[in-house]
Amino acid sequence: MQQPRLPTETPAHTIVSTGQAGSDLGSLPAAPVVERIACVECDLLVQIGELGEHERATCPRCGHVLTAPRPDGLTRALAYTLAACVLLVLANTFPFLQLKAKGLEQVMTLPRTAIELYRDGYGVLAVLVLGPIVGIPALILMTLLALLVPLRRPQPAPWLVPAGRFVSFLSPWSMVEVFVIGVLVSLVKIAAMATVVMGISFFAYVGFAVCFTLALSNLDTLEMWGEIEARTP
Amino acid sequence: MSRFVAGTAAAEGLACCHTCLKVAPESSHECPRCGAALHLRKPDSLQRTAALVATAALLYIPANLLPIMTTTQLGNATDSTIIGGVIVLLHHGDFPIAAVIFIASVMVPISKLLALTYLCWTVSRKRPTSHQERTRLYRATELVGKWSMTDVFVVAILVALIHLGGILLITPGPAAIAFGGVVVVTMVAAESFDPRLIWDQLGDSDG
Repeated sequence: MQQPRLPTETPAHTIVSTGQAGSDLGSLPAAPVVERIACVECDLLVQIGELGEHERATCPRCGHVLTAPRPDGLTRALAYTLAACVLLVLANTFPFLQLKAKGLEQVMTLPRTAIELYRDGYGVLAVLVLGPIVGIPALILMTLLALLVPLRRPQPAPWLVPAGRFVSFLSPWSMVEVFVIGVLVSLVKIAAMATVVMGISFFAYVGFAVCFTLALSNLDTLEMWGEIEARTP
Repeated sequence: MSRFVAGTAAAEGLACCHTCLKVAPESSHECPRCGAALHLRKPDSLQRTAALVATAALLYIPANLLPIMTTTQLGNATDSTIIGGVIVLLHHGDFPIAAVIFIASVMVPISKLLALTYLCWTVSRKRPTSHQERTRLYRATELVGKWSMTDVFVVAILVALIHLGGILLITPGPAAIAFGGVVVVTMVAAESFDPRLIWDQLGDSDG
């Protein structure tokens, strides 16, 4: 499954250092399209040939996965992005959890969580919680739409490069999967005090977390930037 | 000629763009593809990581000593700390949940701080320990980072949900913010550590 290739020893080799992979390769007849990349984790220079389906390239020295493009990765990423958008809207409009105790009822929605925290004087906490679970994922989804839709067309678009940089800047800060675990833990904690009913939004959020994670995992950094470069004048 | 090991991008004066992974001459200072700043190695990696680790360690003290939330039941307010919450769960017999909170709030942050300290120390003192293993340690540190947010999310959910006037009320405590700070600062610390420094040490032993 893995296809690591050691770098060629000749340092005179400068295939992609200027960014035009095609022009230098023109003189080599029938050579496969190669790109020379450096491992992010150990800086070894590696030549990557064309990868087959479900193949990935790993660094021969430290084992870091250099690139793992999935078949139709960008198209799948777009599909999951669209699904995640719909589910995120649902997750924010309906009751998330419902509490019943001693004849009283309390409904919790995601936007209300932020308002509640802010009203208690915990604005910082509101940002710290709602940012990584709703705000940042929403920004990532919008940016992905602005990025992946134009990538399906051959025409260049001026915002592709900033959009790509914005996605890679934001993506470490999304914590959707952590929040799902947090909800499950709180369900057990509350169960001792009161009855909790899971609302529509809870299930929508779980679906959103799955789609969002799949969207990002279908997006191979190297493949995405190759496509962006091809559409940048 | 070069202080970098042969075969690496840096040895040829090439830098790998951290945003788009393009390999380009470092002399151009800016990535030709995405415009991000190019560096052979992350600037002041060890100093930044060490400073952030120290900050996180300091924040971790109030995060554990102050209450993370206050439960008011019929007028009686009870403060609970992170460890206190784990102990209460243990008393209730909720072992799996107690384990989740203990791992996320105590083990993960402490092992992250220890791991980053160890990595900085071995790189700056040029300790000849396994490069493979230290790289794996770094990967694990990056991977587990955000999972410590679990307890902060739990507090937020409880606060938003349990608001039954005078009967039962849960309010957040100052430790929630301190602990959130620990998570964010350790994530930035892991990000500012450059794992390529580990492999640069191959050059030291070769002479």
